[in-house]
Amino acid sequence: MPRGHSYSGLSDRQVGILFIVPFLVTAVVFIAYPVAQAVLMAFYSINPLRPGDATFVGLDNFYYLFDDSLFWDSFIQATVWTLSSIALQTVLGVALALLLHVPLRGISVFRGLLLFPYIVPTVVIALIWRWMFNPEIGIVNHSLMSSGLIEENVYWLSTPTIAMASTVMLNVWKYTPFVIICVLAKLQTIPLELYDAAKVDGAGVWQRFRDITLPQLKEVLVVVVIFRTIWTFNKFEEIYLLTKGGPGTSTFNLAIYSFEQSIANLRMGVGAATAVIMMGVLLVGSILYLRVFRFAEEES
Amino acid sequence: MSNILQSDLFGKVRATVLYATLLLVTFLICFPLLWSLSTSLKPTTEIFATPPTLVPEEYSLEQYKSLIQGKDMYFVPGTKYRPKTSPPQHFLAWFANSTIVTFGSTVISVVISTLAAYSLTRFRYWGRRFIPYFSLLGYMLPSIIFVFPLFLVMVELGLTNNLWSLVLGYVSITLPFCMWLMWAFFRGIPVELEEAALIDGASRLRVFIEIVLPMAMPGIIAAAIFSMIVSWNDYLFARIFINSIQQLPLTVGVMHFFEGVHVNWGLMMASAVMMTLPLAALFMVIQRHLVAGFGAGAVKG
Repeated sequence: MPRGHSYSGLSDRQVGILFIVPFLVTAVVFIAYPVAQAVLMAFYSINPLRPGDATFVGLDNFYYLFDDSLFWDSFIQATVWTLSSIALQTVLGVALALLLHVPLRGISVFRGLLLFPYIVPTVVIALIWRWMFNPEIGIVNHSLMSSGLIEENVYWLSTPTIAMASTVMLNVWKYTPFVIICVLAKLQTIPLELYDAAKVDGAGVWQRFRDITLPQLKEVLVVVVIFRTIWTFNKFEEIYLLTKGGPGTSTFNLAIYSFEQSIANLRMGVGAATAVIMMGVLLVGSILYLRVFRFAEEES
Repeated sequence: MSNILQSDLFGKVRATVLYATLLLVTFLICFPLLWSLSTSLKPTTEIFATPPTLVPEEYSLEQYKSLIQGKDMYFVPGTKYRPKTSPPQHFLAWFANSTIVTFGSTVISVVISTLAAYSLTRFRYWGRRFIPYFSLLGYMLPSIIFVFPLFLVMVELGLTNNLWSLVLGYVSITLPFCMWLMWAFFRGIPVELEEAALIDGASRLRVFIEIVLPMAMPGIIAAAIFSMIVSWNDYLFARIFINSIQQLPLTVGVMHFFEGVHVNWGLMMASAVMMTLPLAALFMVIQRHLVAGFGAGAVKG
C-alpha cells in the first residue's frame, strides 16, 4: 500500500476527492450563489442603496420590461450590433487566416502583429478610439478631410447610426484575431494531399477554396460563430467605455440597459430581470452549441 | 525551360502581391496602437499640431512624466487636492493594484482548476461527468448577471473596497474556463506513468507534484494566460466593487481622466501605452502557444 497513508491518514481516494473541494466551494460561493441570487432578485423590487428592504413583486419586473420600449430598442440594437459584428469578424477572420497561412518568409511576424489586438485591453482601445475619432482633432477626420473623402467633420461617436458603426468597428478590430486563431489552427491540420490532388484535376484557386477549404472549415466556423455570438450579445465594456450607450440611447444593448436600470434608475430588480432574460437567450445558445458539438462528433 | 521561368516569374509576382496586401492590412490594423504610441511620445504642443505629425518631430517623455509624478495643474499650493481634477499621481498605485489583482486571481484560479481537473479525470465519483460541462455553462454567463449579487456577497464577507474582492471576483469569471481547459488537457495525459509510480509506493501527492505537474505545464500556461488577460482587462467588477481612488485598478482609474472638462489626450495615450506594455511583453513570449494550444483548445472545447 502507498506509504502516503501512514502520515496523512487519508486513503488515495480521499486525497482525490479533497482535490476537488476548493473548486466546489469557490464555484458555489462565488458563481452558483450569485447567479441564484440574481434570478431571485428578478422577482423583487430592490434599491441598491438599501439592499436590505426588498419586497417581493412577482413578475412585475418582467411586465415592466415588456412595457418598456427602451428594453425592446436595446434588444434590437443588441441584435444588430451582434449580427453585424459577427458577420464582419467571420469574413475578415477567414480571409486574413488564409492570407496568414501562405508559407512566406517572415509570415510569423505578420501573424504576431495581426493577432495582437486580441490582448489589448478594452479600456485602451476605447481611449485610442475616442482620440482617433475625435471630431475636431482626431486623425481619422483629418485624413478623410485632406484626402477629400468628406466635406465636413463626421461626428463618429455622437451621431446615432455612426456611433453604432463605431462600436461595431471597435468590436471587429478587437475580436477578429480570435477568429483568425481558430481558423489558422484548423487550416494547419488540412492535409496538403487534398490540394495536390485537386491541382492535378485542374481545379482553380476559387474552386479549391470552395470544394476543399470551406468544407474543412465548416465545423470550426460553426463553433466559432456560436461562441462569438454569445459573447458579443453580452458585451458591456466595449460599448459602455466608447459611447456609454449614447448618443441618447442609440447604442444601448441589453447589458448596458441592465446596468443603467440597476445603477442609474436604482431598479436592481429590473436589471436582474434583464440579466435573467439574457441568460435565457444564452442557455438556448449553449444548448445549440452542445448539439452542434455532438453532431460534429458523431460525423467524424 | 521556359515553363520553369514563367512559373518563377509568376511566383515572384504572387509573392509581391501577397506581401503588399499583408503590409497594408498590418498597417491598418496596427495603426491605432502606433498612433497612440506616437501621440504619447510627443510634447503637448505637437499633439495638437495641424497637420498632425505621424512620427513625432520631437520626442519627449513629458506625458509619461506627468502620468507618474502628477502635474502642477492638479495641485494648488497650500490647499488640499481637488477631487474632480482626475489626479494622475495615483497612476503607480493603480498599476500596482492591477498587477497584484491579476497575479492573485491567476494563481488562485490555476491552482484550484488544476487540482479539480486532476481529480475529475483520475477518480471516480458521482458528478464527475457533468461538472466540466456545468462549468462551461458558467463561462457563458454574462458578467452583468454576477456583478450585483457578487457585490452583495462581498459586502457580507466585509471585502468591499478591498483588492480581495477583485481577486475573488476575477476567480469567479476565469475559473470555469480554466477548469474546462485543464480538464481537456488532463484527459490527454496517459495515466500509465502515474500508476506505475503509485504501485512503486509513491504517495498520490508526490506523484501529482513530481510527475503530473511537469506534464501539465502547457495546459497550465494556457490557463494562466487566459486568466491574466481577463483579470488585467476587466472594468465592470472594479467599477462596482471599489470606491476609493487609491484602491482602483488601472482600467477604472484611467477612465477618471475623462471626468474633467479638459481632456488631456497626451496623458491618456501614455496610460494606454503603459497598460498595454505588460500584456505585449507576455504576448511576445506566448505567441506560439496561442495559435497551437489555446486556439485548438478553444475550438475543440
